[in-house]
Amino acid sequence: MEYPSNNAEAMVDTELSYRQVTTDVLEPLFKFSKAYWAGLTLVLLGLAYGGFCIIQQLVWGLGVAGYSQPVFWGLYITTFVFWVGIGHAGTLISAVLFLFRSKWRTGVYRAAEAMTIFAVMTAALFPALHVGRMWNAYWLFPYPNQRQLWQNFKSPLMWDVFAVSTYFTVSTIFFYIGLIPDFAAIRDRTRGAISKVYAGLAIGWRGTDRQWRHYMAAYGFFAAFATPLVLSVHSVVSWDFAMAQTAGWHSTLFPPYFVAGAIFSGCAMVITLLMPLSVIFKWDKYINEWHFEHLAKMCLLTGAILTYAYVMEHFIAWYSDNPYEWGIFKYRAVGDYWWVFWIMVVCNCVIPLVWWWKKARTNYWCLWIVSIFINIGMWFERFNIIASSLAHQFDPAAWTYYLPNYIEIGVLIFSFAWFFLWFLLFVKVMPSVAIAEVKELLPPPLRTDAKEAAK
Amino acid sequence: MSNVKAIFSHLDSLIDAIDELKSSGHTDFAVTAPLPRHEIEELIYEGQPSPVRWFTLTGALFGGIMGFALCSITHLNWPMIIPAGKPLVSIPAFIVITFESTVLWGCMFTLAGLLYHCRLPAKDMDPELEDPRLSDDVFGMVVRNLDSERAAEMKSILDGHGAIETSITGVRLA
Repeated sequence: MEYPSNNAEAMVDTELSYRQVTTDVLEPLFKFSKAYWAGLTLVLLGLAYGGFCIIQQLVWGLGVAGYSQPVFWGLYITTFVFWVGIGHAGTLISAVLFLFRSKWRTGVYRAAEAMTIFAVMTAALFPALHVGRMWNAYWLFPYPNQRQLWQNFKSPLMWDVFAVSTYFTVSTIFFYIGLIPDFAAIRDRTRGAISKVYAGLAIGWRGTDRQWRHYMAAYGFFAAFATPLVLSVHSVVSWDFAMAQTAGWHSTLFPPYFVAGAIFSGCAMVITLLMPLSVIFKWDKYINEWHFEHLAKMCLLTGAILTYAYVMEHFIAWYSDNPYEWGIFKYRAVGDYWWVFWIMVVCNCVIPLVWWWKKARTNYWCLWIVSIFINIGMWFERFNIIASSLAHQFDPAAWTYYLPNYIEIGVLIFSFAWFFLWFLLFVKVMPSVAIAEVKELLPPPLRTDAKEAAK
Repeated sequence: MSNVKAIFSHLDSLIDAIDELKSSGHTDFAVTAPLPRHEIEELIYEGQPSPVRWFTLTGALFGGIMGFALCSITHLNWPMIIPAGKPLVSIPAFIVITFESTVLWGCMFTLAGLLYHCRLPAKDMDPELEDPRLSDDVFGMVVRNLDSERAAEMKSILDGHGAIETSITGVRLA
């Protein structure tokens, strides 16, 4: 019988032993350096300032946010779309690349998947903040009022509730199922109370033939379910806009445009997060430039689609000969929000082009800095779409200029602090690299090899 | 009745041992691995697919029907007059919720199927398998329900196949 290793290309060190993988991946757990505490303090400060702003809004109402008629979708919806988009790369890497049997996902998928969940948890804050009376946010969920009237299931906003909550649930199940064998490894490597906690999380996993058999089958199904979600969730988010008659929004281009943008920003965020992780934890055996180069290539592909979408929506606006449509696109490029538009174009379409040069997409500093520019550019893209269209609608008498105020900026800071809080906790309590799956990449220990070596 | 526990450090030794067990007709055994190795699964289950797929199919169908029914029934229950002859039950408008519900329930049922077939959550499934090395770098095997003579024989067979450690353990109660 042949015993193939899955190590199709040299992306992990095949000299590693199974034991070494377990040791390396569990090494950083429960060890808190001074730098870690400094990071956590920074995050807590962000949460404190953002929390203060949220309390202001809770006490005084939505008026303290910078909304002014007719702009009632501003920074909160921008940031909601930004975070939902970030999540997409995690699911793409963990599910879609699993189905395509792409090997480079193995080292990075666990942390990318965690990023997805934390990003969706962050995004989910914003509809609640945006409705103002957030104690009524549960009205979003499908149940009838006293007169047996249900929500309008023909509304894209209701679709979004279903899309985002399904996405969160499915991603969380997929994430947890992937973690079970690794929780068992932690249980077996630790003692006392910690071991007991992980024994609970591992729910009795022993890695028996029966368990692996059903596990692998179910894992494939979860991946198959998560795959269409990568495409559907941001399509549904885009319909929040595209279903409205607002100029600049009402376009069939939106779903593919948003999905490409989501994967673009998500892959950039994976680079932003995983590069420090790989360097600080000295995990270059597991996450190295080979992985980052693939992520950069993914960004190049989706960035090209995105640039095409930017060009095409301007072209169609001009070609349609619709004065409102062409008016808004001219306004975006040269009107009050010109700076937003050009930040978007430079960060998303121009700066990432350096990655066409191999040296740039294998250089850690270049990868990291460009990935941050992409994150900035993608936030401004959503702001460009939302704010400019609402501030400049059909009636010139209603034109205005919206900018977020300090309360909204505080909430934006809160969202980043909230996301990084979860991520910082994650890297210290869960294995950020999938232990069992990395072992699959190694050639299995064989007696025949041992005999040959002895000769 | 006794059980025999064996630890293997080499995958091919384990595969040979499973092969011999199967050919001897003894099927009451469990094998553990710290990673999924398809050779083990192929050998033991001979390519038979896991029944979890039926849970997946049932859940997805249930979810799809539930999603569409939720939208349709609630709209029919409160029939609003919609201009331009637009239907109350509108397939394009309900596609998204039908799809999301299909995915959600398909996943939930798959999870239930996985837990049911893996017999999880479990406590003390096989005391022999509570060995910390088994989630790390070795393969384990427990051959169950052997009389003492057969257990000794089994132990020597497994030793012969290159098990790095074998032991005969006591009576298994449950």
